[in-house]
Amino acid sequence: MKESSLMQLQYGTGMLALVLVTLHLLMQGVLVPYGEAVSFQHVLSLYRNAIDGTLLELLLVVVLAHGFNGLRVILLEWRQGAAWEKGVDWSVLVVALATIAYGTRTVILAATGAQS
Amino acid sequence: MPRGKAPNVADELEAPRSGAGKEAANRRGLAGQLNPVHLNIERWAYTFQRITGLAVLAYVVAHIGDTSFFVGGPFGEGPNSASWASDLSVTENFLGHAVLVMVVLVVVYHGINGARLILSEYGVILPKPSRPEYPYAAKSLKTIQRHLIWVAIVGAVLAALYSGGILFG
Repeated sequence: MKESSLMQLQYGTGMLALVLVTLHLLMQGVLVPYGEAVSFQHVLSLYRNAIDGTLLELLLVVVLAHGFNGLRVILLEWRQGAAWEKGVDWSVLVVALATIAYGTRTVILAATGAQS
Repeated sequence: MPRGKAPNVADELEAPRSGAGKEAANRRGLAGQLNPVHLNIERWAYTFQRITGLAVLAYVVAHIGDTSFFVGGPFGEGPNSASWASDLSVTENFLGHAVLVMVVLVVVYHGINGARLILSEYGVILPKPSRPEYPYAAKSLKTIQRHLIWVAIVGAVLAALYSGGILFG
């Protein structure tokens, strides 16, 4: 992807994250009392609800895409060079995808796994 | 009008620096970059956008690890109330709540300042381009931008105080 397209992606995910993170923070203590928000039953009901579960997955992907692309931009601004750029691009991509995969596993297991 | 050397465009376009002669330009390296004296608030806002961005990313990655204990951690297979209870016993204490208040501070700043950066990226809150004139005060700060930076700072502090009230109240 061109750097200019990646910056547009950064602004797009930034605006989406603004909405999703605001909602996520409000759910932790403002719209839902804090003690209830972290209780097992409430968290379970979120993951098992199609809309809330999808929003959590969307939050995961959007924030990690924005965060890891931001890290990539900082690293490329810090030091330049073809090898460095390639190394940063690939390592950031791999770590980002691994983190998204791990978080997605939590969402899927919480939504569909057997309860214990 | 006296005829002489044509004005050097590069001189006019050079960023304002305090108290340094021309011979010092580009020679201060990292120490010069870190010297806060010549920075205006927009540059500070940029620095803090980077720092808070890295801090939020670190928290988010840790948060994904921490919330995975809802399903029993890396080797879990489904919602596990015992695993979740032991996770909460690690995070639900004074230190954990203090970290959360810091996270709110940093996230709200990054969000509001980020909204400002997007608006300025698309030119919404920038003045029309004009010739730089002595003493080269940043014209970008003559618009609502200057106020939006303070909205980000004050908003972050208020949100952190509010979350502190919830977590410690």
